[in-house]
Amino acid sequence: MPDDLVVSHLTAGYGHQTVLHDLSLRVEAGQLTALIGPNGHGKTTLLRAISGLIPAKSGEIRLGETRISGLGAAAVVARGIVHVPQGDLLFPDMTVLENLRMGAFLPAAGRREKAALDEVFSLLPKLRDRQTQIARTLSGGERRMVGIGRGLMASGRVLMLDEPSLGLAPIVIEQIYEVISGLRQAGRSLLLVEENAMRAAGIADRVHLLDHGTLAWSGTGTQLSGRPELLETYLGV
Amino acid sequence: MDVLFQIIASGLTLGAVYAISTVGLALVFGAMSMLNMSHGALMALGGYMAWFTLTGLGLPPALGVLVAVGVCAAVGALIYLLIARPMLGAEGFETRIFIATIGFGAVMESAILMAFGPQPKPQPLAVQGGIGLGGVHLPVQNLLILGLSMALMLALGLFLQKSRIGMAIRATAQNRDAARLMGVRIGGVYALVLAISGGLAAISGITVSSLSSLLPNMGGDPMLKAFIICVVAGLGRVPGSVVAALFIGLFEAAVQYTIGVRFSFALLLLLVIVVLIWKPQGVFGRHQGVRL
Repeated sequence: MPDDLVVSHLTAGYGHQTVLHDLSLRVEAGQLTALIGPNGHGKTTLLRAISGLIPAKSGEIRLGETRISGLGAAAVVARGIVHVPQGDLLFPDMTVLENLRMGAFLPAAGRREKAALDEVFSLLPKLRDRQTQIARTLSGGERRMVGIGRGLMASGRVLMLDEPSLGLAPIVIEQIYEVISGLRQAGRSLLLVEENAMRAAGIADRVHLLDHGTLAWSGTGTQLSGRPELLETYLGV
Repeated sequence: MDVLFQIIASGLTLGAVYAISTVGLALVFGAMSMLNMSHGALMALGGYMAWFTLTGLGLPPALGVLVAVGVCAAVGALIYLLIARPMLGAEGFETRIFIATIGFGAVMESAILMAFGPQPKPQPLAVQGGIGLGGVHLPVQNLLILGLSMALMLALGLFLQKSRIGMAIRATAQNRDAARLMGVRIGGVYALVLAISGGLAAISGITVSSLSSLLPNMGGDPMLKAFIICVVAGLGRVPGSVVAALFIGLFEAAVQYTIGVRFSFALLLLLVIVVLIWKPQGVFGRHQGVRL
């Protein structure tokens, strides 16, 4: 039974600096939810708080009935929430295959490693030819694909992608978005951070706009496309 | 010809001894950017534990070594729990842990001094006899050390490359946050790495003392050499430090035979200076701190 990911009254940040203020939002199961908003207003921080890389100062995060805030990163992955971080964070001295296998590190994912690897290779065929290449020597687009593939290897319930198009050439962005759209059609629960609001509006079932660490607006992708003044106010486009 | 062969034989033995102690240091630095300054005291502890279990308790040699390795591995894990963990993530971790482990090493050395006294003791795990090969005499003890060291390095290499936990150690070393996102409990990895390093320190202490004798401060000199080798290889680079250890062993043996023992340390330091001018991040080092 797929569960919604629910963030309630979350306050989080780094050290004494608070980035998210009393934030509440919902990521519905089987949908693609996009987070948009200006840089430095808490999108990445929210993902880091959900995945347990930083602790919540107050409030809570639940996946269905299970409280996941306060668990720590390893336990959050074990509950099926997978975070594909910004900037890929690959293991640079490992091969592509080793990077992917690390994605299935936990025993539950490890048991279906082979099946997951086949899925990843059919979704990202380029990686099949690059298996033995050291990650450090890949191009930016290939790295991004390894990062996404590694996230898929965990066979999780919710996949969080932090700016998967950042710094890539337009043609590579298109390839990456084809993969994301394929995952959406397969009914995966996805939380996508996207800089480009129009691209997010085009693909997302639901869009949340974060501003100064709070939820400024929330609606469907189609609704966002009809509200150019929103984009002008918050994003200056 | 015989002289050359003799130099190679003793150089490789020396290098093998260095390799065991260096790899432990390199593994810990590579995984968690921690210079463990109590590594030398751990070596002494291992040597004394072997002496105590064999001479004092009368255990068979294999069991005695196992106890020594187990005790040092446990102390290694304790170093993580009691000293490293409270400081992890704090600003200046590398400097703090450096100073804290100097203190811990001094405490451990003093405890050994109080327990076993200041007189040198013979390491009972020494094998007598030798093999004549042409005009060259090879002590069995040296051959054993060389074989043991190579077997240990091979086992450690296979463990790091092939096993699931070895992968987790390498992943943690290469990108801590990414490893956490894969579900790796990095606290467990750190404790394990320090335990492995402690176990290797015990074996290193036993081999070093079997070539000379047991003293509470016996770990100081081999630890200094291990640091030199780590710096030459590039801090935290595990396979590179094995190669560097063997090379420096051969270098020392060659200098001792040809120019004289009193020059060997000075020339070793000169070699380090030359290497650091030529490659400041070490022969196998890379600029941006990824290691294992």
